[in-house]
Amino acid sequence: MTALLACSGLTKRFGGLVALDGLDFAVAQGETIGLVGPNGSGKTTFFNVLTGLYSPTSGAASLDAVDIFGKSPQSIGRAGVARTFQRCRLMLDQTVFDNIALGVLRAKPLGLLSTLFRRGRLRADLDATIARAHQLACRFNPQLGAALFRPAGDLTMIDRRRVEICRALIANPRLLLLDEPSAGMTPDETRRLMDDLLAFREEAPHLAVVLVEHEMDVIRRVSDRCVVLNFGRKIFEGLFDAMIEDREVQTAYLGSGQ
Amino acid sequence: MRSTNLDAAIATGAPPQARSLPGTAAAILVPLAAFGALAGLLQVHEQWETGLLVLAFLAALVLLDRSRAGRSLAEACRTQSGIASTSAVLAALALLWTFREDHYSLLMVATVALYAVAGVGLNIQMAFGGIANFAAAAFFSIGAYTAAVLAGHTGLPHLLVLAAGGVVSALIGVVMLLPVLRTRGHYVALVTIAFGVLLRTLLEVNDTFGGPQGMKIPGFAPFGSDFGDVATIAGFDVSFYLPYALAAAALFALAFLAGRMLERSWVGIAMDAVRTDEIAASAFGLSPARWKATAFLTGNVLIGVAGALYGMMNGFVNPNGAGFGESLIMLSIIVLGGLGNFWGAIVAGAVIIILPEKLQSIQEYRLLIFAVVVIAILRFRPGGILPRPLRTLGRQQGGAS
Repeated sequence: MTALLACSGLTKRFGGLVALDGLDFAVAQGETIGLVGPNGSGKTTFFNVLTGLYSPTSGAASLDAVDIFGKSPQSIGRAGVARTFQRCRLMLDQTVFDNIALGVLRAKPLGLLSTLFRRGRLRADLDATIARAHQLACRFNPQLGAALFRPAGDLTMIDRRRVEICRALIANPRLLLLDEPSAGMTPDETRRLMDDLLAFREEAPHLAVVLVEHEMDVIRRVSDRCVVLNFGRKIFEGLFDAMIEDREVQTAYLGSGQ
Repeated sequence: MRSTNLDAAIATGAPPQARSLPGTAAAILVPLAAFGALAGLLQVHEQWETGLLVLAFLAALVLLDRSRAGRSLAEACRTQSGIASTSAVLAALALLWTFREDHYSLLMVATVALYAVAGVGLNIQMAFGGIANFAAAAFFSIGAYTAAVLAGHTGLPHLLVLAAGGVVSALIGVVMLLPVLRTRGHYVALVTIAFGVLLRTLLEVNDTFGGPQGMKIPGFAPFGSDFGDVATIAGFDVSFYLPYALAAAALFALAFLAGRMLERSWVGIAMDAVRTDEIAASAFGLSPARWKATAFLTGNVLIGVAGALYGMMNGFVNPNGAGFGESLIMLSIIVLGGLGNFWGAIVAGAVIIILPEKLQSIQEYRLLIFAVVVIAILRFRPGGILPRPLRTLGRQQGGAS
């Protein structure tokens, strides 16, 4: 099995703090990896390094043999990586469509003159993007499709998460990074969101997903493999059942009991 | 090629009462009423009459906001913005024609229109780009000084002089880019305040541009003859301020259209994304620096062009116009009018520029009263007199094409 995403020795230092310490990480096409670890273990830092928000200190990272190590968020996005955030990062005063469109904005003509003088092309482009956004939103929730031109701030928590996921998916990424999608949601909402996600996986079998999550039920349900981080290092990689039996993982999460 | 999905999206995205006869009537009448009120304000002489108008205006504002009928009026203007804008344009032309011989009223209307052009620029900077520009008057004056130099000392056609006012204002804005891009929020405001103070002082102490006396500027003569010499149009006696007011209104229409086209496009979404959340915007491949620079420089072009025409209309420019107080007035116009709403700059411009002229008794307390009004607006109606409407890029509501 060849890896879609391959990272080796990925390291990120903030001054004296080593947030990521020589991380080797691989995801195959169509695979879902559950990434777990206590608070501060480097999960979000890993996402931020992968998506180019932080520049890594050393190591290597490639997506389908394209080097993405230390590249700009633009080129990493173009290579096919998209993400959601732990804290809701939507434009709440803007419409659902505007928020979803942010996912494909970098591929749009953004020149001022073309915006002012090529309105016909813009209109056609908008119509096509609206149709695509509507299709995506409806796949997650038909009512969300109907609310495409409502302010995102009017939505419930779960629909906001869905908008974030649609925003990440609209550019047809090859690797989707989900940063704690259950944060701030009720267990029931979390279950529904995971239903959506599993249904979507059926339709896009090649999409690879890395999911950061504290809810072990979620991890058990959706992930093919699990990776556990602690102090920026990988302390476990394997199946879910093996993970919860693992002594080092238990110690990292619950303490050593002494 | 239209998919059924698209039709569904449009059908469901549009508001229920998208087009109805009463709605259309409202969209026509509200702008007429607003310009009628402006005409009334220009017409009145007695202080108590002005006071009555102010009370009527406040009452209308409260009714629009609080009563159901008022809210549906506002909604009708939003959903049928094309009709409302057309009605506003016709009402504005009728107003200018009515006051065609009245120097003073036309001067004030032209001033409001030019401040509103600058207001569109400031809105692009602040409401879209998120850059608090406290040096608007400085860039406005740069436009006027550019006009003084180019129109007074070269044979450059005057339409190009206007454009040059915008370009020079943007170029000098480039100097500010580095500190503006490196700072955020309040610090950007401080940087721009410092720039405005520096520019004004420089103009005062340096004699190249006339020192404290400032410079004379020739009248605007876009097609060969000076606007100042115009005495009749189509056989009617008119004030020479009429062509200026028309030019200012045309400039506002252009700025309005350009600003709206930018807002209702990918560019508008990009600016909103960068302003709202730089991290999310970066993660999706937008460069915050690029979009802040774009907003700042585009805004400066509009402010500079407006300043150039303003200078040519007044015939002179001096460093006082570049001061911090003037910048604050421009800023309060867009905050009062509603950040992100271009019509708001006209309404608030009328309140801030014309009202004190009519209420001589408050002249001395002008700034104090502005401060109170701005605080009151921020407290009771934080979106401004006319809040920014939601951008809906679906086809039916589209003023996009």
